[in-house]
Amino acid sequence: MIELAVNAGRVDSLVGELAKLPAFLRRDLLVAWSYRFAFVGDLFNLAAQTLTFYFVGQMVDPSKLPVYGGTQATYLEFVAIGIGVSAFLLFGLGRVAQAVRGEQLMGTLESVLMTPTASPTVQIGSVFFDLIYIPIRTALFLLVVAVAFGLNFHAEGIVPAALVLLVFIPFVWGLGVLVAALTLTFKRGMGAIGLGALALGIFSGAYFPLSLLPHWLSSVAADNPIARAMDAIRTALLSNAGWAGIASDLALLAPLSALSLAIGLFAFKLALRRERRLGTLGFY
Amino acid sequence: MRAFASWCDKGRFSLPLRTSDVVCATPALALVTVTRAYGEKIALREVSLAVAPGEIHALLGPNGSGKTTLIRTLAGLLMPTSGAVSVLSMDASRAPQRMRQLIGLIPSGDRSFYLRISGLENLVFFGRLHGLRRGAATARARTLLEQVGLADAADTRVGYYSHGMQKRLSVARAFLTDPPILLVDEATHDLDPAGARRVRELVRVAAASGAAVVWATQRIDEIAGFAQRVTVLAHGRVTFAGSVSELVAQAEPSRYLLRLRNGRLAGSALLVALEQAIGPLGSIEVSADEFVLALADRAVLGEALVQLATGGIEILSCQPERSALEDAFVAVAEGATA
Repeated sequence: MIELAVNAGRVDSLVGELAKLPAFLRRDLLVAWSYRFAFVGDLFNLAAQTLTFYFVGQMVDPSKLPVYGGTQATYLEFVAIGIGVSAFLLFGLGRVAQAVRGEQLMGTLESVLMTPTASPTVQIGSVFFDLIYIPIRTALFLLVVAVAFGLNFHAEGIVPAALVLLVFIPFVWGLGVLVAALTLTFKRGMGAIGLGALALGIFSGAYFPLSLLPHWLSSVAADNPIARAMDAIRTALLSNAGWAGIASDLALLAPLSALSLAIGLFAFKLALRRERRLGTLGFY
Repeated sequence: MRAFASWCDKGRFSLPLRTSDVVCATPALALVTVTRAYGEKIALREVSLAVAPGEIHALLGPNGSGKTTLIRTLAGLLMPTSGAVSVLSMDASRAPQRMRQLIGLIPSGDRSFYLRISGLENLVFFGRLHGLRRGAATARARTLLEQVGLADAADTRVGYYSHGMQKRLSVARAFLTDPPILLVDEATHDLDPAGARRVRELVRVAAASGAAVVWATQRIDEIAGFAQRVTVLAHGRVTFAGSVSELVAQAEPSRYLLRLRNGRLAGSALLVALEQAIGPLGSIEVSADEFVLALADRAVLGEALVQLATGGIEILSCQPERSALEDAFVAVAEGATA
């Protein structure tokens, strides 16, 4: 009987915490809407990148590009997915860290932490808007590029690609929370994002096939989870391979995502505890 | 306002209180020999404090005395280096989330809101983090905005608010859930007299309904007739703990403002006459248009006035240079320095 009551209490508590997430969503939607020009600027940036790579693609010999499930990809098909996923990653990484940094700078971090809200709810809540917005933005981007440039994306690959993206979210989020923990501790963690961006650009295969790297480097880069996610999405959207083509990538990504998230959340918890102990939570 | 009994009935205070100034059997809030260090610097030294339900407890102290550190420690934003904090019989370190449900904090700074969204949306957001449903949070936020005089600015972005308006919004936020404990750090600092009075009235009503209030301030004048008990901090130590009247009793005013009818004497001649008349009982200082009588140790005011009158000085009025409370505060704070 007591055990049942305890469990019911936990469920109530969980439901109560989940009910707070829409409040974060509304807050961030209102804040994002107040920066309408940044919204539009971001879309223009994506469009400009795509246009640039469209012309670069005119010079690229398709035979240099990988074949996905027997389908030869064009450079624009290859790079559009690269741009979409890398933007997803960079945006996600940056926003998680910026959420903490922004709250520190505004002084609202302490206000939020003064509410009876569990630490994981604060962490999820801080990026809840982005967790919804960024996948939608990526999907919309790919859709618009596909329609505008007549790219040959397979409709049946959309669900598998979406699943890869879904499994990839905790990986990005985990890295983001880790950067946020560094930001909380060292106050400036954006340098780490810069390094991440550099590694992403070179070792993820976003803009060029990894096979062009020196052999020893390309074999290492091929196991980069980001490269695996990108490859899996390309396989899903550019070939008829279906679920079979992405199964091994999903099997690798799922545990890595869980690990990334666990490490990130643990690091954040430690960072928060340290700040409370030192009394520097509101410092920036 | 939620009846305090429902919070108190959960159990009795369990930590061993060691200070003589703790008067309530079941304090809503208690600090027991709390020390807080920032590296080498000790911000609080073995501070003990207990606040009863329904009590407004003033926390006085000069700049850097440790008031804000104490408030932040009570709020759970800082961990004590040693000692214990208890909220409604709960060890604060063991149930931080539950503790935050019971505390309303009005911080001293004004950087605590989202500047890009409206005051109403800010309050609704924080209300929802306190567990209110959207409808209830909105209704409560509107009521509070009305009470703090911000109804007209409800839909204005907080970025356009003045410091005083942000402070009033902060007060409204602290009352969102009618918490049984209110921690107030310099709430009236940025407010005009009418706004300050309104905030004091809100706090007074909350205390009358059972909330325990810690009111940190440097405005000594506002605690008379408002707070029941006072703790004075200086250099992180408690230098006084007791009732307001006990604090006033610490005051031994020795400086008085005199208003004189000069008659034939003026300027330096008047000053010389005053000095001769007062003799060893004190000295006379000239401050702008006023004369200040500074009594010597153990001199009695009546005796000094008789001496002046006998010397031909016509005294129209005589009043203490500072209020009794201010005198007491200075005496207690300076006593700690000495």
